[in-house]
Amino acid sequence: MVIKQSLFVSVLVLGFTTTVFSEGGGLVTDDPESLSAAARTQPYSPYAERNFPDRPLWGDTHLHTAVSFDAGSFGARLLPPDAYRFAKGEEVISSTGQPVRLSRPLDFLVVADHSDNMGFFPKLQEGAPYVMANKKGRRWNGMINKGGQEAVQAAAEIIGDFSQGKFPEELMSLPGMGVYRSTWDETINAAEEANDPGTFTAFIGYEWTAMVKGNNLHRVVVYRDGGDRARLMEPYTTVKPLGSPDPQDLWKWMAEYEKKTAGQILAIAHNGNLSNGIMFPEIKAFGKKIGKKYVQTRARWEPLYEVTQIKGDGEAHPFLSPNDEFADYGTWDQGNLDLSAEKKNEMLRFEYARSALKTGLQLENKLGTNPYQFGLIGSTDSHTALATAEEDNYFGKHAGTEPNKDRYKHPMAKMGDKEYKGYSPLASGWAAVWAEENTRASIFDAMQRKETYATTGSRMIVRFFGGWEFDGKDANNRTPAKVGYAKGVPMGGNLSASPKGKTAPTFLVGALKDPIGGNLDRIQIIKGWVDAKGKMHEKVYDVVWSGDRKPDAKGKLPPVGNTVDIADATWTNTIGATELITVWKDPDFNAKENAFYYARVIEIPTPRWTAYDAKYYKVDMPKEVPMTTTERAYTSPIWYTP
Amino acid sequence: MGIKLSHIIFSILVIAVITAPLNAAEFTLSKPKKVEIEYSPFINQNFPRQVYWGDTHLHTTYSPDAGMIGNFNLGPADAYRFARGEQIQANNGMQVKLVRPLDFLVVSDHGEYQGLMPSLRGGDPEILKNEVGRRWYNLFKEGSEGQYKVFLEFAEDLNNNKGRVPFDKVARTTWDLMTETADKYNDPGNFTAFIGYEWTSTPKGNNLHRVVVFKDGAEKAGRVVPFTSFDSPDPEVLWKYMADYEARTGGRVIAFPHNANVSGGLMFDTKTLKGKKLTRKYARIRTRFEPLHEMTQMKGDSETHPKLSPNDEFADYETWDKANLTSTIATTDEMLPGSYARSALKRGMALEAKIGVNPFKQGFIGSTDSHTSLATAGENNYFGKASILEPGPERWKHVLIKSQTDDKLTTYGSETTAAGLAAVWATENTRESLFEAMQRREVYATTGPRMTVRVFAGWDFNEQDVQRADFAAHGYANGVPMGGDLKKAKTGQAPSLLIRTLRDPDGANLDRIQVIKGWLDKNGRTHERIYDVACAGNRTIKNRRCDKPVGNTVNVAQASYTNTIGAPLLFAHWKDPDFERKQQAFYYVRVLEIPTPRWPAYDAKIFGVKMPKDTVMQHQERAYTSAIWYTP
Repeated sequence: MVIKQSLFVSVLVLGFTTTVFSEGGGLVTDDPESLSAAARTQPYSPYAERNFPDRPLWGDTHLHTAVSFDAGSFGARLLPPDAYRFAKGEEVISSTGQPVRLSRPLDFLVVADHSDNMGFFPKLQEGAPYVMANKKGRRWNGMINKGGQEAVQAAAEIIGDFSQGKFPEELMSLPGMGVYRSTWDETINAAEEANDPGTFTAFIGYEWTAMVKGNNLHRVVVYRDGGDRARLMEPYTTVKPLGSPDPQDLWKWMAEYEKKTAGQILAIAHNGNLSNGIMFPEIKAFGKKIGKKYVQTRARWEPLYEVTQIKGDGEAHPFLSPNDEFADYGTWDQGNLDLSAEKKNEMLRFEYARSALKTGLQLENKLGTNPYQFGLIGSTDSHTALATAEEDNYFGKHAGTEPNKDRYKHPMAKMGDKEYKGYSPLASGWAAVWAEENTRASIFDAMQRKETYATTGSRMIVRFFGGWEFDGKDANNRTPAKVGYAKGVPMGGNLSASPKGKTAPTFLVGALKDPIGGNLDRIQIIKGWVDAKGKMHEKVYDVVWSGDRKPDAKGKLPPVGNTVDIADATWTNTIGATELITVWKDPDFNAKENAFYYARVIEIPTPRWTAYDAKYYKVDMPKEVPMTTTERAYTSPIWYTP
Repeated sequence: MGIKLSHIIFSILVIAVITAPLNAAEFTLSKPKKVEIEYSPFINQNFPRQVYWGDTHLHTTYSPDAGMIGNFNLGPADAYRFARGEQIQANNGMQVKLVRPLDFLVVSDHGEYQGLMPSLRGGDPEILKNEVGRRWYNLFKEGSEGQYKVFLEFAEDLNNNKGRVPFDKVARTTWDLMTETADKYNDPGNFTAFIGYEWTSTPKGNNLHRVVVFKDGAEKAGRVVPFTSFDSPDPEVLWKYMADYEARTGGRVIAFPHNANVSGGLMFDTKTLKGKKLTRKYARIRTRFEPLHEMTQMKGDSETHPKLSPNDEFADYETWDKANLTSTIATTDEMLPGSYARSALKRGMALEAKIGVNPFKQGFIGSTDSHTSLATAGENNYFGKASILEPGPERWKHVLIKSQTDDKLTTYGSETTAAGLAAVWATENTRESLFEAMQRREVYATTGPRMTVRVFAGWDFNEQDVQRADFAAHGYANGVPMGGDLKKAKTGQAPSLLIRTLRDPDGANLDRIQVIKGWLDKNGRTHERIYDVACAGNRTIKNRRCDKPVGNTVNVAQASYTNTIGAPLLFAHWKDPDFERKQQAFYYVRVLEIPTPRWPAYDAKIFGVKMPKDTVMQHQERAYTSAIWYTP
């Protein structure tokens, strides 16, 4: 096909995604007296004995394969080994028969198939006797094997039955059954086979898919361990009595796992936006008052939050952040996951990362621990076994939404007059992890210390340090990482108490564009804090931007412009900046108030996946279909506690 | 939801008894059938998507000169480990590590007396059989002075093209070790360890050295031993050995000349070493086996000389023009055209017009030629040309090559260059893919930084093409990359170049992009001209040059600079305004960085030493791409 040629992305600058801001630099002292002493203790080679991460590793912590009953129902035919091959950069044939390849390999992947009903789908497709003996089983088998819209309908029924607790007990694949055991074993085997320390990390993991009346409480569970430990227990599920939909029970199971195996695991919540107000509770959870135990346990097991993915962006909501012109990004707010209950404004506060970070400060003041002191990552949650988060190579949420000319108009979910439109999914996101090396241990440990950031699919490189002594010159230093770690803490860290004479914290923040992506519009720092009266606040500061724009009288920065040619699904990097870096000092600091700060990096406008579809399939999409996007990165916050 | 008790019991059992997979067959699905849809833009991309970085010229303790002068400890395995990004201990006891790993490495120890140091150190009976060998063994045991004496005898043997100690058996053992070690560290997809060595022909002290690189593993390369200058100092005989190797093994081998700057004009001479006219056959064989020229390295930069290119204000860069390699014969102006890369490209065209084939049709790479086992080409991490020049407060004034004839010809530590690297546009990081990219010259040289440079030449490129999202795909589909050929322009056509460059992410911003054109006029005379085609900042191009210098942020005392000037990314579309379609021409691209501290500035700061005023403390690093040739 001829069109292919014009969709190729430039590869001029692939060498660029390496170690920006990584230089160790020479000696930092200016004092000639100390030079000889320093020369003795510090190697001549600025890179020897360097003890900080020098490049972000890119991955997807949330990917489903045909092992997930819903993915399989929707038509996925690829399994964990395929998912790893694809993530490593190999070309594969997708479930709908299309050749597909990543622009660049990923560094790591978590195959996170649903623990509930794990292994059911292959049995359904093959028509195992126990499946055919069941009325619904026989019906679904027929529909699945017919394919097309019938299969999609079957998937909708299966998922609907499951999320509403109506799934036939006889068909359930449960821990302890042979089919479950062998599926978990094969999942582990696939990760063990693909794991290649130093080159590619294949994490063992699964998704615990708790839903309460269609309200999303899902968590991805990630193992630091290899198969020897992970095999010792089968995954935790949500169906009683073996499992439970209450996260507190998941945490118990996690503690039990660590005790039993001496292994290490963590859980990553996602899609608070579809939880209808229950992802980040403040007062009660599952009917019980939130107390010290809840906040401590949550903080112990959930160091990260998946803030952006295909089913919407969960950083901020325009209702909660009316002064944030970039808040309305990838907003999914019609209702809960299956649209069985609609959204009310009062729910939003308990659904979005930024408000949760604020609630966390509030709870910390009350209970002594911040349960929502989480770092940020993005991931796809794709159900195709294909981790695709780039706009020009988006292979959809599930096999039914792999590229086809009508996918933009097939609703993702529909209930009454509410629907998640076919064009509303985001080609998003990635998890960027500042780890010393590409191994399970090193990446997991970086996740634990929250030295991570999320992007909506672009691979921009972002550094963010907080401390008390950064000054403007540090932004011109050729070894910013060295300065950053020497004078402060990285993203995910905690500021020390303010030293004498220091009136406000300072931040060194820098970003480098994705070598094959759009230029950068600006870097913002978002601050949240709780005042003496217990009131929560937030403020967005533009700290560095491209070009010679000047903020207006109200402090608002003019837009960067727009070069997108929608019809041709292209743009040019003639606006924006290749890299941005600055030092920013909080002008509104009050040493008595606890606070958090995180950086948001905004790209210039680029074509959205819908524009690539419209061009490729030559379809006219209705006006309401968004055709451009401004990709962004969200760093983990840095916290200040008086 | 109710659940059967039996399930729970079973589940507990399974958890308690760790089982192997019960039934692996359950984990299969019918596989999707491929359909003819090409939505994903990255499928079937069969052009290079990434530039790979390496050093094609590195010596270890197995090279007699390295081994006799301070490199006692580090062999090929250490060299590979270091290149892969591991921290190791240098011979001077310092810890050292690269800023980023390299993608490939050729350990290219001298073929002559290869493995001498370890064999003396270990008292190899093969060496002790020989009288001179026993004397060398005793000298070696005396320590550094004795070892230096052995080195001088080695150098004398090189000069005379004749080894004084029978060495066949040691050579065989050493080569087996080297080829096996390369195979062991070769990790397709991640790191390429090439098998290679240096053929060290030095007639009358003039440098005719070649690094010989094999595409193959030990299974093939191990069927020969290195052909040395003791076998013959004549490159034509080396090429015979190479042809013979290929015929015998079905393998592939190429050679890279280097340090034309100290060849006394012999490297690109218009006659053969025997003094005969160059023939069509000579030219064909030479271009066949020598597709590349290592034109920048620690012993100076060989792009061009200020006397050859008086209108090139950037020509005088790391110039080594006192004498030949052994500092015995002073350089004369007549030698220069045979000693530099740009003039060689011009000579090549003129020769092609006469004999039908261009003998000097060479792409450009840089490499270190370090003798420390450490491929360091960064100014702030420079571990020197040899172990005696590893970091220390006085290395800048140490003698590197002492002239036996005239003190003025002696070269010193501060004259060595922290350079260079070889950049290769290949489809994957394997011996095969990198080797083939070198053969087609899709490579470029840098003096140390890892800037990314892409060039395409074609007839129909326009201004907008340089901004295209599918820049590379478009470039390959409608033109040729660096190292390629354009032929037979139609009336009214002129070649246009698309160029994109990106600075080293850890390095300095870029000053400008230049296109360097050479051509042969109708009277058979060659010419060169430089066109600035992109300037960072608010500068314009006047009279083919950026109208102002880029500026300078270097603080020598602090060995620092800032990226407040220059640009991280530069691109250009340039159409030759002076094209004559009946005249042969070549075009290559030179990319200049903003000024940065040179390695002595880092030394001065770190060791707190003062250096003489004439020590060069700052410079503008650069990249040189392989040329694209036009033939009518």
